[in-house]
Amino acid sequence: MARHPDTDLVPYLRGELPPAERERVARHLEECPDCKQDTELLRDLLGNLAHAIGQPPAVSWARYRAELREKLEARRAQVRWWRRPMPLALSASLAGALLLVAVWGGRELSKSPDSIGPDEVVIGRELGLLQEFRTVERLDLLEDLEVISNLDRLGSERQS
Amino acid sequence: MEPSDEALCERVARRDEAAFDLLVSRFQERAYRLAWSILRNAEDARDISQEAFIRLYQTAGSFRGKSKFSTWFYRILVNLCLDHKRKHKWWKLWVRDDVDDRGDTILDRQPAPVNDPVDKLSRDETLKALGSAVDRLAPRQRAAVLLRVQEDMATYDIARVLKCSEATVRVHLHRALATLKKTVEKH
Repeated sequence: MARHPDTDLVPYLRGELPPAERERVARHLEECPDCKQDTELLRDLLGNLAHAIGQPPAVSWARYRAELREKLEARRAQVRWWRRPMPLALSASLAGALLLVAVWGGRELSKSPDSIGPDEVVIGRELGLLQEFRTVERLDLLEDLEVISNLDRLGSERQS
Repeated sequence: MEPSDEALCERVARRDEAAFDLLVSRFQERAYRLAWSILRNAEDARDISQEAFIRLYQTAGSFRGKSKFSTWFYRILVNLCLDHKRKHKWWKLWVRDDVDDRGDTILDRQPAPVNDPVDKLSRDETLKALGSAVDRLAPRQRAAVLLRVQEDMATYDIARVLKCSEATVRVHLHRALATLKKTVEKH
């Protein structure tokens, strides 16, 4: 005997199965008393379920629709904050502040490559001193330190 | 001729308020009942079903008409219900599930059509147990059962609502009904 068509029984009872499948299930039910009994139980069960689930408490539909209308109106009023129209003065102030920040930030950025901090000045002064240390004098970097410390002079020599 | 749900949804996408009102009127009872069946709380069901209508209003433009409007709308609703259940899962530890917000049990909510009192008692007991067992199902299994039983939806449509394959829906239904069958057999 073929496998029991357990999951096909509900669609079979509702007449949903395509003809070939329906025929297969019907043939199985003729041969299998257990499945036939199951099908009858399912038929009763589906019939009783509607009663078993019951009906909800009554509702005033006019009130239901009025509530729904209120909720819908409230939802429409909840425009997202970034879409809300901003008062003109507030918008102008915000734009001004942004402009100020942009200009000030731009000036700071353009100034920064020329400005030298106090730490850098101290290190620059000590470049010559670093060369005195035997432990560091062979570092490749120090080959460049001489060039770096004499950049001004090299520049003026090249110009002349 | 009455406009179809799909045509109304297109009009809602163009912010046609009258079309929206008409869609709400058509689906309010079904939406509330389905939400209540999943959430088992009238206040939550009202809030969540109204939220589903608000989402419908907001996203009507994304409805492409590839499926029925009801399938598309139920997907919004069921997702909201499942999300709500997930967020409030901890609360279930403290609240009994089989008593609703009016203090009525599932038994209290049943119609009383049967003549024989013994049969009626037995049937009511079975229905009560069955209702409680539905409440204890895993959320997606429960949603599949409710869409099948209450909304009479086909497997194909349930799959679209739950965003899964038809085979998965069949498995959900099979497992859920196997659990419920055991409950009935005990009675």
